[in-house]
Amino acid sequence: MEQLYSQLADCIEFGKINQAAPYPPQFKGMPGADELTQQLLAEGASAGDILSKALIIGMEKIGVKFRENKVFVPQVLMSAKAMSTALVYLKPLFAQNGSDRKGTFIIGTVEGDLHDIGKNLVAMMVEGNGYEVIDLGTDVTAEKFMAAGKEHPDAVIGMSALLTTTMGNMEKIVREIKAAEPNRKVCIGGAPVNDAFAKKIGADSYNPDPQGVVEFLNAMAS
Amino acid sequence: MVTTYTPVTYRFTLEELNIEVEPIYKLMGFDPDDVHEPFPEMIQNELAILAPYCNIQGGYVLVEPVELQDKTIIINGVTFEVGKKVTRYLKNSQRMALFTCTAGEGISARSKQFMDNGDMLEGYITDVIGSVIVETAMDRIHNYIKNEYSLMGENTTNRYSPGYCNWSVGEQFKLFSFLPDNFCNVSLSESALMHPIKSVSGFIGLGTDVKFIEYLCDNCNSTNCIYRNLK
Repeated sequence: MEQLYSQLADCIEFGKINQAAPYPPQFKGMPGADELTQQLLAEGASAGDILSKALIIGMEKIGVKFRENKVFVPQVLMSAKAMSTALVYLKPLFAQNGSDRKGTFIIGTVEGDLHDIGKNLVAMMVEGNGYEVIDLGTDVTAEKFMAAGKEHPDAVIGMSALLTTTMGNMEKIVREIKAAEPNRKVCIGGAPVNDAFAKKIGADSYNPDPQGVVEFLNAMAS
Repeated sequence: MVTTYTPVTYRFTLEELNIEVEPIYKLMGFDPDDVHEPFPEMIQNELAILAPYCNIQGGYVLVEPVELQDKTIIINGVTFEVGKKVTRYLKNSQRMALFTCTAGEGISARSKQFMDNGDMLEGYITDVIGSVIVETAMDRIHNYIKNEYSLMGENTTNRYSPGYCNWSVGEQFKLFSFLPDNFCNVSLSESALMHPIKSVSGFIGLGTDVKFIEYLCDNCNSTNCIYRNLK
């Protein structure tokens, strides 16, 4: 069983979706995330174990490589695709047993901003690292973030902005959330923001890359 | 008195632009000599079917006189707070082309549709191709301007845009005030975001003593600019 977990973690890290997929070349003809997840379940592995012993391991490795500029967005998205393939089998099982997830993360691009590639990348990395992700999309108002927060009282809220002109909206949203729920954890990201801005607006964390968000969430969950 | 400027516009088909894969690879972060499948095939497949989704157009108005100060450029009473870096790059400009260019709404809509369906990689590839299309179209327009004014003994600068080189993206509103309404079907949101998303805008300086800088990125310390070392 341990060998299968390790193989599946490699498939996630290198973006091997299924046996038929030609990518990556060194895995050609070998089983992918699809087949290995099914095999693990058939052999009695729990969804939680598959998540923690394979998916999280693979996504952490690709996240670190991305941070170190050893891989780029397309390779991370291939990993995410392999992860999504595995999650198709695991999600129904998580629904039966919510405790398999580490927590919930609400994410959105702030009001006035329609950029979503960075936000999607973070959402996928966080999901692959064992969290339920509530993706509110783009152009998200404070009211929408807060409504989602009401439905998920223990969730951490993450928000992104790509434009300097929408940093003001981010500040407004964070302040409104914190005024209503001072203990709600909020993290921010996006090209124009930084740690100093996060501190100024009262956010709990700024992360320049998806792996940083995962590490923040892990610290909150532990 | 309101000054009106005569706009010059161009339209392109995707085929006319003859998009190359190298800038697409570079914008994705790859070394163009070291890209493995499935990415080259996915990019080629997407390029082959994107034409109907494109509505590529762009244009400019030529404005003069322009007054360059230490950190600002004044055009017809409007002060652009471009910062020291951009004023230095545009030094000696006698006139400026204020431009916009777009790949059209269809590409962004297609990218978004992919993403909404969970096909993030496909959506990303379409998005990057859209960026390269609009930059390639603007390269053409830039060349037209360069060629036309070189006949009169004038040179052109690089293109400089709000949102880059520490020039606030909020200055888009001033720039667009010089362009006809909905020029080339490009408009601004309240947050200065251009619609369609795959659009560019900015300044090109013209004059007998202006310079085109080959290695612009070497003079900038921005680490998250998508154009860094692209050209």
